[in-house]
Amino acid sequence: MKLEHIVVGLLIVVIVLQAVVISQLQSTVATLSAKLDEVSSKLEENTAALKEVSTTLSEIAGKVAAPPPPPPTPKKEVELVVFSLWGGKEEENFLKALKAFEEKYGIKVKHVAQTTEGLMVGLPAQFAAGKSVADVIIVPWPAWIRDLAKQGHLLEVTDLIDPTKYPKSYVDMVTVDGKIYAAPFKAWAKPGFWYRKSFFEKHGLTPPKTWDEFLALLDKCKGIPGVEAPIASGDGVGWPLSDVTEAFIINRGSPELQLKLISGEITFDDPQVRKVFEELVDLLKKGYFSEPDEWTAQIDKLWEGKYCIYFMGNWMTTMPQVKDVNDLGFFPFPEAKGVVAGGDWVIIPKYTEHPDEAKLLLKFLAGPEAQEIMVRQGGFLATNRDVPAEAYKPADKAVVDFLNTPGLVVVPDLDDAVGGEFQRTFWDQLKLLWVSPDALPDVLDALKEAHLKTLGKA
Amino acid sequence: MKPQTKFIYLFLVPALLLLTLFVVGPMLFTFAMSLMKWEGTKVVGFAGLDNYLEVFGRREIFYPKGFERGRPPFGALVHNAIWILIHVPLSTVLGLLLAVMLRDVKGAAVIKSMIFLGMVTPMVIGGVLLRFVYDKNAGIFNEFLRIVGLGYLARTWTAYPDTALYALILGSVWIWTGFSMIVYSAGLETIPQELIEAARVDGASELAIFRYIIVPLLKPATIVVVTMSVLWVLKIFDIVYVATLGGPGGASTVLALEMYMDAFFKIPPNYGTAAAIASILTILTLGLAVYAARYMVGEIACIGTGFRAARGF
Repeated sequence: MKLEHIVVGLLIVVIVLQAVVISQLQSTVATLSAKLDEVSSKLEENTAALKEVSTTLSEIAGKVAAPPPPPPTPKKEVELVVFSLWGGKEEENFLKALKAFEEKYGIKVKHVAQTTEGLMVGLPAQFAAGKSVADVIIVPWPAWIRDLAKQGHLLEVTDLIDPTKYPKSYVDMVTVDGKIYAAPFKAWAKPGFWYRKSFFEKHGLTPPKTWDEFLALLDKCKGIPGVEAPIASGDGVGWPLSDVTEAFIINRGSPELQLKLISGEITFDDPQVRKVFEELVDLLKKGYFSEPDEWTAQIDKLWEGKYCIYFMGNWMTTMPQVKDVNDLGFFPFPEAKGVVAGGDWVIIPKYTEHPDEAKLLLKFLAGPEAQEIMVRQGGFLATNRDVPAEAYKPADKAVVDFLNTPGLVVVPDLDDAVGGEFQRTFWDQLKLLWVSPDALPDVLDALKEAHLKTLGKA
Repeated sequence: MKPQTKFIYLFLVPALLLLTLFVVGPMLFTFAMSLMKWEGTKVVGFAGLDNYLEVFGRREIFYPKGFERGRPPFGALVHNAIWILIHVPLSTVLGLLLAVMLRDVKGAAVIKSMIFLGMVTPMVIGGVLLRFVYDKNAGIFNEFLRIVGLGYLARTWTAYPDTALYALILGSVWIWTGFSMIVYSAGLETIPQELIEAARVDGASELAIFRYIIVPLLKPATIVVVTMSVLWVLKIFDIVYVATLGGPGGASTVLALEMYMDAFFKIPPNYGTAAAIASILTILTLGLAVYAARYMVGEIACIGTGFRAARGF
């Protein structure tokens, strides 16, 4: 017998042994688990009995003397851990709101900025193990919140907030079986184009109101020396391109078109969708959009006068590349019919070790005090109606005023709402379309395939 | 069984145990995962080979239409093959040439260190650097084109489907050449100087010495370089993830990136297909590694015997 045969044989024996050991371990764990369940159920019985005794004693004591129960005072040594997706300037602003909470309640708060993947992948794993590193988490995914709530991972917050203080949809989106599982905190929107006021003044440009004026603006911009392209195109993961594309779907098509795409009622071979994309491709071919580049670097170039306008969400006002927020102008998508808007919600994992303190923080963040602090710093739209309008900076106020336009339809983000494989494909295919507008048929095919597959209609 | 043989097995046990626990075990577990049907993070049934069929049916993995057009995307499987076909010969030949050219140069250690820097740099940083290198405005590659009068070609090379894949491969060659150069440099040191001198005395030209003495004697080094390069390229992920995220339109995607996307990027994740891609990668790399290792052991043994015979040991 050759040595390698013996080694392979030994390897197989080790694997078998490992399997045996694992199965033994599993059976031991199962036995221990059963015993633990037994002990736990006994403990629950004892606890219930003790509660009954305690209630009876309280009633007796209440009849003898009824001093008002002292309000629950939070433990001073508690440090709450808060997760959110905010870094940089957004985190800086958020820390100010957290500081106000610390000063008001004497509870320390530690903020840990997370990545999308960190939250999406890390939290479900922690919850599945019955643990949570964070006491309070702020996330922008209502569908995800609903899923976590259905799985029993979140504390109900129905009694902690007054739903009438928020836009109804922001509460409905995080309600499961009539119970609210998250508090609305931030609202955001992707309303239109940003520009540098001084650049517009210098070159005699004016914000367009109609589609024809918009096309005329692009044409005029293209002729300005030093301008590489009229519209900046943000790259990176890909969402800046999907944002501007969705604006075309909603406003050159209709908000219903976006909603039908989200529900899967239509897909990317629909004639109306194709027409919108053809219009977009026409602009791409005319060189009105720049080559995609890292989205924050594009703000620098906008500021340097290499581009005239940039389609971006309302967080544009917080970007450090915007050297002077007072020089930042905004105009909505011409002849706007709708707008993509969403929010960030505060949730409390069931597994927090400090539920009382976490609830205090949730109430604080959902309240007008914290939201006003955020609004005054810029780039933040409050969900709480009690935040005064004068707290907004002019650029943010322009967005708020636009969002209050009568008849404007607010719709969810297409790729966020469909999610899954479609999101990545959407971002990636748009990158292709931007540099190869002739690839439109291929792009629409790829989008249709991913769209139907993700929605389970393939 | 001889007592000596028993000891051999005894000493093998700890290593085998660790390998089983941390390499073989996870591999088998991943394979088992690939046969399961998943809903998010939960197993909901047995899928058989469905995950594999789904993976091979995806345009991201295999896209024959790309061949009709003659430009990427062709699918991750083909892209990995293109990586091997371009990256491995280029980095191997460049490494060999650099090692030979720098052999007798004063201050070669400094130059070699500079070339090897790419290898020491974390791959994620390498990816970021490549983004900059190929950037239309800030990139050194486009600046070079402008200097030599080809400024009209300047573009962000990683943003276009017809150039993204090749731009990444060339960038990766730059990063990896340091490795092959160092291995060849070490290999050159093992070549007996008397063989080269004897050839010179017999009137052999430098080219003939390189062709008939240096290259054959560097065969063990070549096997190491080629094997390591192929394995590295098959598992390539970081550079692609950072520089292009596999785009545009899947034009630069690779198998490892598709696996990562399925497991950690998509919402909800698809662990079944991610595990299927991981298993495909494992089979490819394992098969190659086993073949190369057996070949290498045989070659080294032959060369060793040859040396011993030549030197009269």
